Amino acid sequence: MQVYKAFFKIIKKNLIEISIYLLVFLFFAILMTTTGSDRQNIGFEETKKNIAFINNDKESEIVAGLRDYLSEKANIVEIEDDAEKLQDALFYRKVEYIVRVPAGFSDDFLSGKEFQLEKTTVPNSTAAIYMDSLINKYLNTASIYLKYSDSASQDEIIKNIKKDLEAHTQVTVNSFNTKKANGQKYMYYFNYMAYSLFSVMILGVCAVMIVYNKTDLKRRNHCAPIKTRNINLQLLFGNLSFALIAWALMVSTSFIFYPKQMFSLNGLLFLLNSLVASVTFLSISFLISNIIKSKNAMSAAANVVSLGFCFISGVFVPQEMLGETVLNIASFTPTYWYIKANIRIAETVEFSMKHLKPIFTDMLIVLAFALASVTVALVIMKQKRTSEA
Amino acid sequence: MVIKVENLVKRYGDLIALDHFNMELHEGEVLGLLGPNGSGKTTAINCILSLLKYDKGNIEIFGKPMSPDAYDIKRDIGIIMQNVAVFEELTVYENTDYFCGLYVTDKKKRRALVDEAIEFVGLKDFKKFYPKKLSGGLLRRLNIACGIAHKPKLIILDEPTVAVDPQSRNNILEGILRLNKEGASIVYTSHYMEEVEQICSRIIIMDKGKTIAAGTKDELKSMIKAVEKVTVEVYQPNEGVLTGIRSLNNVISAEFDGEMLVVKCGKGSHNLMMILEHLKANDILFGKVYSEPPTLNDVFLEITGKELRD
Repeated sequence: MQVYKAFFKIIKKNLIEISIYLLVFLFFAILMTTTGSDRQNIGFEETKKNIAFINNDKESEIVAGLRDYLSEKANIVEIEDDAEKLQDALFYRKVEYIVRVPAGFSDDFLSGKEFQLEKTTVPNSTAAIYMDSLINKYLNTASIYLKYSDSASQDEIIKNIKKDLEAHTQVTVNSFNTKKANGQKYMYYFNYMAYSLFSVMILGVCAVMIVYNKTDLKRRNHCAPIKTRNINLQLLFGNLSFALIAWALMVSTSFIFYPKQMFSLNGLLFLLNSLVASVTFLSISFLISNIIKSKNAMSAAANVVSLGFCFISGVFVPQEMLGETVLNIASFTPTYWYIKANIRIAETVEFSMKHLKPIFTDMLIVLAFALASVTVALVIMKQKRTSEA
Repeated sequence: MVIKVENLVKRYGDLIALDHFNMELHEGEVLGLLGPNGSGKTTAINCILSLLKYDKGNIEIFGKPMSPDAYDIKRDIGIIMQNVAVFEELTVYENTDYFCGLYVTDKKKRRALVDEAIEFVGLKDFKKFYPKKLSGGLLRRLNIACGIAHKPKLIILDEPTVAVDPQSRNNILEGILRLNKEGASIVYTSHYMEEVEQICSRIIIMDKGKTIAAGTKDELKSMIKAVEKVTVEVYQPNEGVLTGIRSLNNVISAEFDGEMLVVKCGKGSHNLMMILEHLKANDILFGKVYSEPPTLNDVFLEITGKELRD
């Protein structure tokens, strides 16, 4: 096992350069875990909008009740009832909604006549829709009480409306298709892992293979009583061991940062997907090592190939933010399919064959890249052997 | 017979690198392959080691045909390549251990062999050094340690002293003789005739892929007419001096090399005295005087009409 041992001695000599990528990855992993929050993705938080409430009617109990109710759901900003000032307030977003209670509204409403509240809003404002629904809710409830409780006083009606509208229902959304929010954070962890893993793989594999591809050393090894197949086999085991160690090191931190998620089926799929990607990155690194000849070229290849592939594939910028042309080009890289599989894994909650099939298809495409890379590498090696003989 | 090469032909396209080359190495011998750069020495070695495919001929080592998968033969061969072939990432000890380990699997035995080889080449104090930290001479010694650590019966050294300082060169040559004394048969290729003369018991002179002469150094030198070269510093060299010298008995040739009169003489006694008396009799002033036997370069020059270092 001389070759296998020498493999790791060479890796050891290049460890500093390789470790940089590991450390950068760990730094980003910690950063991702400790900063930012995905609370907005998993829950609902009510926010209060600024509105103006202009009353041109008398100060009736129904108007006061409406104002009180709206003040609980929005911030009522006091603005002088002047057309220009009200328009300025809307323009400068001091308020997003102005509701005007016309004169005679209370009487018309209590007698069951038709009435119309005036409103002025910022165009296409979601606040307007929300405020409309609140006003409608209040007035509809009030109408029902007026219609069916003839004997009740205005004061009692207002109290009942208030009581009714204070009732809250706990809503739980059960989605059988997506739970995107939960998987987002550790999906990014695995997405970013592609860059570090790819770089580490190129640097490690090339560092050793460049040495073993040196003509003088190759010839010297051929003089020894050891089969070329044996040397190649030991190198293969060395490469596989290195890939496995690099992968294990990187995924092991995921168990520290996301222990709960990693011990789930999603976690298992993330692990499997990253392992498949590791095999492909290893194959591409092997191909690169047969093309480049110097250590300088090795560093350049590690940066250009891994960074280039990862950038257009959505490792750093989400795929949904990349242009169609970029994504079309990226589809010729394994990182694109790796990220795609990660996105699908993050969204999967039902582990039926129907849902898993697209994930496994993506993984198979990633493996196809490995096969293609090894094939090309073998052709190059054969050509080199022929020219040397 | 350790090595037997018969009618070896190797072509690179139209270029014939080896043209029916023959070679024999007997047990305990130090055989020198001498020839100018491009004469086919390294090609011959590469063919012998099955590193190169050849077009025609037979190669036998230890009485068995040599082939790329003749691992039992390879086990007893030590090779020191022209270019230093070591791992930059491994220390002196690790490098020697790596190459020794390709031949010797037993760890304990290997450890002893590696220590012995490192001590043999004088790198004991540099065990933990990386090749980058070694001088050219020390690097060559490491190359030798890697080639001989497994105690081979046959050692092939392909120009091991190229770009090495004189002191390191002497160390290397002494080491080769010690290895030979310990029982190894050696093939030594070089274009430095002094080295080959110094250590080889038999010499093959090569040119353009062919053997042009073979034998011991004395046998080779006896192949040529000149047996003595006399060099005299003459203060007023002129054509008349040359005509006079050339007319003397036993003088084969006389030429001026600047102010130095170079006279090649055939077999005879008192050649030097005869030349000096002639100069004195003709009132020709002279200074430094040298007399030396012919070198392998003279042999090469007489056979090929060109110098070894051309």
